[in-house]
Amino acid sequence: MADLQKEFNAYTINLNKASKDENIKKAITRAVKSYRETTAETLTRFPHTPAMAEEVREIKTKAIANNSELLKQAMDSVERNKGKAFYAKDKQEALEITANIIGTGKTIVKGKSMLGEELSLREYLTEKGNEVWETDLGEFILQLNHEKPMHILSPSIHVPREQVAELFTKFFNKEVPPDIAQEVAVVREFLREKYFTADVGISGANVVAADTGAMVIIENEGNVRLSTGAPPVHIVLVGIEKIVPTFQEAMKVTEVTWRYAQYGVPGYVNIISGPSKTGDIEKVTTYGAHGPKEFYVIFVDNGRSDMAKEEEFSEALNCLRCGGCMYECPVFQVTAGHFGHIYMSGIGAVWTAFVAGGLEKAAPLVYTCLRCGRCVERCPMKINVPAMIQKLRERVVCG
Amino acid sequence: MMATETKLPPVLEIIRGNIVKHGNPLAMKGSEVAAWASELKLPEHGDLLFYTGGEYQLLPFIDSLVNTMTHMDQGSKVFSLMMGARNIINKTGINAEKIYASVLAKDRDRFNSISYKAAIILQKLGYELCYAGKKELYSGALLSELGFSEDMEAYAVRVAEVLKQSKAKTIVCLSPHAAEVFKFVYPKLIKDFPFEIRTFVELVWEKRHMLPKIKSGETVVIHDSCRLARELEIDEELRDILQSVGVPLREANSNRQWTTCCGGPNKLLFPDLSHIVASRRVEELEETKADLILTSCPYCLSALQGGQGKENKNKTKIEDLIEFLFRGFEA
Repeated sequence: MADLQKEFNAYTINLNKASKDENIKKAITRAVKSYRETTAETLTRFPHTPAMAEEVREIKTKAIANNSELLKQAMDSVERNKGKAFYAKDKQEALEITANIIGTGKTIVKGKSMLGEELSLREYLTEKGNEVWETDLGEFILQLNHEKPMHILSPSIHVPREQVAELFTKFFNKEVPPDIAQEVAVVREFLREKYFTADVGISGANVVAADTGAMVIIENEGNVRLSTGAPPVHIVLVGIEKIVPTFQEAMKVTEVTWRYAQYGVPGYVNIISGPSKTGDIEKVTTYGAHGPKEFYVIFVDNGRSDMAKEEEFSEALNCLRCGGCMYECPVFQVTAGHFGHIYMSGIGAVWTAFVAGGLEKAAPLVYTCLRCGRCVERCPMKINVPAMIQKLRERVVCG
Repeated sequence: MMATETKLPPVLEIIRGNIVKHGNPLAMKGSEVAAWASELKLPEHGDLLFYTGGEYQLLPFIDSLVNTMTHMDQGSKVFSLMMGARNIINKTGINAEKIYASVLAKDRDRFNSISYKAAIILQKLGYELCYAGKKELYSGALLSELGFSEDMEAYAVRVAEVLKQSKAKTIVCLSPHAAEVFKFVYPKLIKDFPFEIRTFVELVWEKRHMLPKIKSGETVVIHDSCRLARELEIDEELRDILQSVGVPLREANSNRQWTTCCGGPNKLLFPDLSHIVASRRVEELEETKADLILTSCPYCLSALQGGQGKENKNKTKIEDLIEFLFRGFEA
């Protein structure tokens, strides 16, 4: 019998501690203000966005309903592009497929990925005797600090520059002042060497186009470009819910995602459909010109297809992971990612129940949610999280 | 997702048990919940049923229990006993009556009077009300919200029975939570649920031209309740009402459908967190520099007041819309 009171007690202590953390308060207050201002400004600048979000909602809903077909098509497209496509039914399979490709004793540079968190990918590959580097600055900070992300897009949102300086000074074994530009520079220098000596680059993907097999990855830092471009092997791990039928539709999903993710206009949108190739000498196609010679895509299910079958929850798969809802969540505003278990806030509670911990881990989150519904106002996909939370409570109570 | 047998935190069990056994979350007696109406002599039958659900009346009790909880291990025996199962408490020697009465007496009158004032306002506006008195049952909103759907199915039948005895066509709810559950949940549970569900705010809004002016000169900021603004889509009505009584209005940055939750909904399980959420909301409302914060939901009222903290000397006054409008009739 699961004793939820025990789950609740440990969780509550942590939650209460977070709610009194001045760093979280300062950081999140600043982040919320900035999120709202930037989003308001960019929605004014690109007024077609809400209508496009509406369209994307339909694209995603249809794609989820038709997921097994699209998965097949996407896998075929990847293979046609001379990549290798895999389907992993659960976490263990995803990890094993990845480890089999990589082996041991390798250096890996990795882009930010919530799926990676879901799978504990870095930890697993490290255990297998590899050296894994998070290349997103926020994730890199957390890796050094042995912490979990506090927001899906700004993982180290709660760590102020002073703490970063302290951490870097210790790690790089030289004085790093609490100056953001200098902090960024020292990581740039360090990782640059890693990109060009790494054996493998790993990334997620924001959207996948089934027709072309294109992986779309939005970013600002340029770390994904380097991680996926410099090493001889590129592995994509992506949730099966990210697949949409066509390239054109994928572009719409991409634009809506970045707009609500506070990017305004992102620095980079990477579109990767296969290994690097050239036909410049005698029109003979040769792989691994400047970029990776090998390209692998692992489509991860891990509970997603179960979720898709449930009428009351399938809509949660439309989530673009823009993170907008979190900024609007009154609990998240107080506790940051401590209101979460890998996935965060109300929508995270739903994801936790299905793909990342199950109902037992989701239960405290499910009862933390205020069901206030402001997340729905923000959500470009209008995911009815309060209704799902109520349904999950029924499952907690009734088993 | 695995379905597992679970042992729930006791507070959930206690709330559930009280609603199912006693018809309200705190095991109050029907006569206590209906005490506010004794001198009004409202009829049991009529077209328009006045529904309190006991929610305003129970507020001070909930608050004192939450205060107790915040200082007590939720798993402890004493805690379980505190949560209102009177018969057990009496057997084990803790005098529940005394605990209830001593801790709460100071607020009891105020919250009892809110239901009274609401009834008077509606009567003055020309509405003829009937009321179920001590038979009135709590709507069960918490059963539904907390996930006790099986209990809710059975409980809703009992509530609907009482509602039907009134022979009313329309039910006017003081609490948006009751209105929400009657409007959206009951029709799915009860085959024959022929009621038009209205809120106090809507009925007042329709006859707002009859409201007496309020000449206190205070500026007012509205805290929109989530249920009212988002589920029931009532926000402009509140502004119209206040405008028609001649009150200068201020607006919070997060208002109407973007309103910030008062933190009330997770008060029972996470009282500390709930308190901080409430304090933050009070800060947002106080940023407007309004003299008075008004809301139209019992849980918002209670949560926001709790969020102000006892040590704060320059508290902005927080009232329910009902209390505020009643002033016009007193003058």
